[in-house]
Amino acid sequence: MSAQFALLGALLAPVLQAAFVLSLQRPPGLRDMMHIGFALLTAAFAARLISAAANAEAARIVLAEPLPNVDLAFTVEPLGALVAATVAGLGAVHAVHAVGLVRATQEKAPARLMAFTALSVAATMAVAFSANLFTFFVAYQALTLCVFPLVAHRGDEEARRAGRTFLATLLTASMGLFLPAMIWTYAIAGALDFQPGGVLAGRVNTLTANILLVLFVLGLAMAAVPPLHRWLPAASRAPDPALVTIMGVAILPAGGVGLIKVAAFVFGPALSEARIAALGLIALSGVSMCAAALIALSRQDVRERLAYSCIAQSLAVAMGALVALPVGLFAAALQIVALACAATTLTMALGTTAAVTARRTAIDFVGLGRVMPWTFAGFALACASMVGMPPFSGAWAKLWLITASAGAGLVWAAVLVGVAAVLTFAHLGPLAANTLAGKAPTDAFKKPDGASILLAAPVILSAAATLWLLVLADPLASFLSPIWTPDS
Amino acid sequence: MIAALLDLARTHAPLLSLSTLVIGAALAIAGAGPRLSWFIALAAALASAAFASDMALRLLTDGEIVLTIEGAALFPDGVGAFAGALLAGVAVLAVMAAGASLGDYERRAAPFALALLLLTAAGWIGALMARDLVGVLIAVETAWLASVGLVAMSAQRAALNGALRMLGAGGVGGAMFVLGAGLLHHGAGALDLPAIAAAHVERADAAALGAGLVLLGVALKAGVAPLHEWMGAVLGRVNAVGALAVGVLCAIGAIAVIVRLAAYLLPSLAFGEGVSIALAVLGGASVVIGSVQAVGSHNLRRMTGYAGIAQAGGVLLCVALASPAGYAAALVQLTAFAGAALALFGGAAAGGVQTLETLDGLGRRAPLAGAAIMAGAVSLMGAPLTLGFLGRWRLVEAGVGAGWWWAAGAVIFASLAGVFYGGRLIERLYFRRAGEVYAGARDVWRWAMAPMLAASIVVIGLGVAPAGLLAAADAAAAHIAGSVR
Repeated sequence: MSAQFALLGALLAPVLQAAFVLSLQRPPGLRDMMHIGFALLTAAFAARLISAAANAEAARIVLAEPLPNVDLAFTVEPLGALVAATVAGLGAVHAVHAVGLVRATQEKAPARLMAFTALSVAATMAVAFSANLFTFFVAYQALTLCVFPLVAHRGDEEARRAGRTFLATLLTASMGLFLPAMIWTYAIAGALDFQPGGVLAGRVNTLTANILLVLFVLGLAMAAVPPLHRWLPAASRAPDPALVTIMGVAILPAGGVGLIKVAAFVFGPALSEARIAALGLIALSGVSMCAAALIALSRQDVRERLAYSCIAQSLAVAMGALVALPVGLFAAALQIVALACAATTLTMALGTTAAVTARRTAIDFVGLGRVMPWTFAGFALACASMVGMPPFSGAWAKLWLITASAGAGLVWAAVLVGVAAVLTFAHLGPLAANTLAGKAPTDAFKKPDGASILLAAPVILSAAATLWLLVLADPLASFLSPIWTPDS
Repeated sequence: MIAALLDLARTHAPLLSLSTLVIGAALAIAGAGPRLSWFIALAAALASAAFASDMALRLLTDGEIVLTIEGAALFPDGVGAFAGALLAGVAVLAVMAAGASLGDYERRAAPFALALLLLTAAGWIGALMARDLVGVLIAVETAWLASVGLVAMSAQRAALNGALRMLGAGGVGGAMFVLGAGLLHHGAGALDLPAIAAAHVERADAAALGAGLVLLGVALKAGVAPLHEWMGAVLGRVNAVGALAVGVLCAIGAIAVIVRLAAYLLPSLAFGEGVSIALAVLGGASVVIGSVQAVGSHNLRRMTGYAGIAQAGGVLLCVALASPAGYAAALVQLTAFAGAALALFGGAAAGGVQTLETLDGLGRRAPLAGAAIMAGAVSLMGAPLTLGFLGRWRLVEAGVGAGWWWAAGAVIFASLAGVFYGGRLIERLYFRRAGEVYAGARDVWRWAMAPMLAASIVVIGLGVAPAGLLAAADAAAAHIAGSVR
């Protein structure tokens, strides 16, 4: 299979998945088979693209030229391939879980939920493989619009309000901040292509670089950099499959990859010109990480707690991208993978728990690990990864982030990362421990048979994925090195 | 024989693009019934569009066309040819869409409504081709009075109030135009458009005041803020055909005429800078006021009208740059405005939608109408891969190139406002259930969907592959810039 074909497949397979799921709603078995089958196919294409990126195989798809010298184009590069493979792999696991979940909860509109989940994966693929800022912007908007129906899925007033907050925040930030930054970049560089070394390198003065960096970073509201983070807690009451999409599979990874692409491919060495803005944003991210972890501690609804916890984790990506060192970019890339794996596991575990026990608050989770050992074993592993405990993927990401911060002379930033990790432990550690060590409730299940294998197995599989960076950290460093090594 | 006739027709394309509409209007009135009149009107609009398109194609590719007898009164330039073809195309779609709403009129009144619709289009196309200010005035007043008549024919009595307001506003606008033309003649010694820019201006103050009044006179008819007081009253009460005439044909026509007049007035060394500042102020005000009013509006037609004011403001900002890049951006923006307005007004007419509440669940009960309204909404928002995005991009590009950063800011503001009102439309279309009163209240699976679907396809299609449009807009801008040099 050529890399070009794989790229086309990775972009199209989730779209076909949505089309088939919507058109083959009856019988449900066929619908579910399509949902899982196409998700696996997407993962296979994404895996092939990892190999293409590792071997420096060229693949580029140009769909249109909507602006002079600006293509709507997709290309394969290591960062995009890594994020796409992570998202597609987790997406396949999530597809199995979603099938189990809509059956367990007797979801009223399962096809719509599955179809928009698939479209969200397609848009995330487009974000990851975008060849330039314009394509990224288009894919980013498409992702926002694909996830909005998931947030507003229930259709009641609370869901609509959450949907409005989600849409208003993400679209306003992208139109009001990211778009002007993109146009400004085009006016300066005459091009919008993502290229190692950055399109702005050598073309931008200090003032412009600082303003542009602020516009780009805050414009990428999917990265949840305060004050544009409100959409995530607001969306935390969305249906469980939507939560997996938002926190694990689509939105947060897309925000993270956007930050890295801007730092590495738009600014590159020009990030040193934006030193003041970068320091300000690192400080904002660091302090906000701690604040988000602290707020999470006060939340009893586990979905809200997880939403704030994910904000804290996502801000670590921002810090890594802004440190302006290769090791910082590496840490940020690892953090995206770690966050995606852990958040997917946790949100799926919450979905499983809610489906079979109808429990949502931290106090009600006590002892559930005794009656749902597989689900809560996965839950505990993912919590450990979020906290940054070795040997899980979160540990390596945070270790590199602290190394990067210290290497850039920002010891205070490294301290903030450490404090945030302690606070994350405070809001996730006892929760995970109580689920396993507490006394088992006598009336845990709504139904006597508990969670089906479709609900439990995906949690374990994605939890196992949090371990994979343990063995892959070194190869990943050389795999990702083209991001910060400009072509000679 | 046929080839010779076709050649003759092409030679007189400017005249025929106008006269077919006027003759079509007369024949439509003489038609035996609404359906026959509609066929006649559609045939006339199609013929006019064919002549206008052919003329535009030849002018923009060859650089010039030979004018014979009509050259005494008509002078098609790049902007006139481009916008004339656009307007003729819009007229075809408006007549097609009107076919579905003829039941809103009494049987005897329907042919008159179609005739007035054609006259509205003819008037604005005439103004885009007129050689001098007198010709522009006559054509504009013809178009305006025809549209006033159309509004007055609405069954709702409240529409009559709107028609009276239009009449009053149009009267003021006409008076300003006449006074301005007089002052311009007094100051510059010319009424002929190509001659004004090159004229030796003896009384600069009078000429500057005259130029300003001429533009304000047309701006009042375009509904540019803050001169749009009449618009809310009209669009909120008029029927579907009247809304298409006022909200689409008049708005597009008047803005296009402003672009054309400004292109002749701006190069003047004596008063060009003043005209530029006036247009920029008017444009900025329109963008802000139109956007704010659209956000606060609860009537779909009014909302579209106010959003159109914001779009018109964007066009004026482009023109104020007084450069070929600015004129080209204005024409792209104008095309985007036309596509979005047609999709929204057409979708509203086909779906029987007036207030925002009646949009609830329309995406499910009328998928095509819903899709058309959504396409119009996303274009107004300036979403990427739509014509609206392209128009704003070109404006920002031209504005940044000229150092007008505030203009780029105004456009971003319009986009942000567009997110709110456009997002609200989409939410109501697809994420709300229809109230019992509206569900199935109107059969919306009708052939009348064609115009708005065509507009939706144009909005998206040209947003994805805009090379032809951009080339045509650039050629039109270069042509008019060359004409006044």
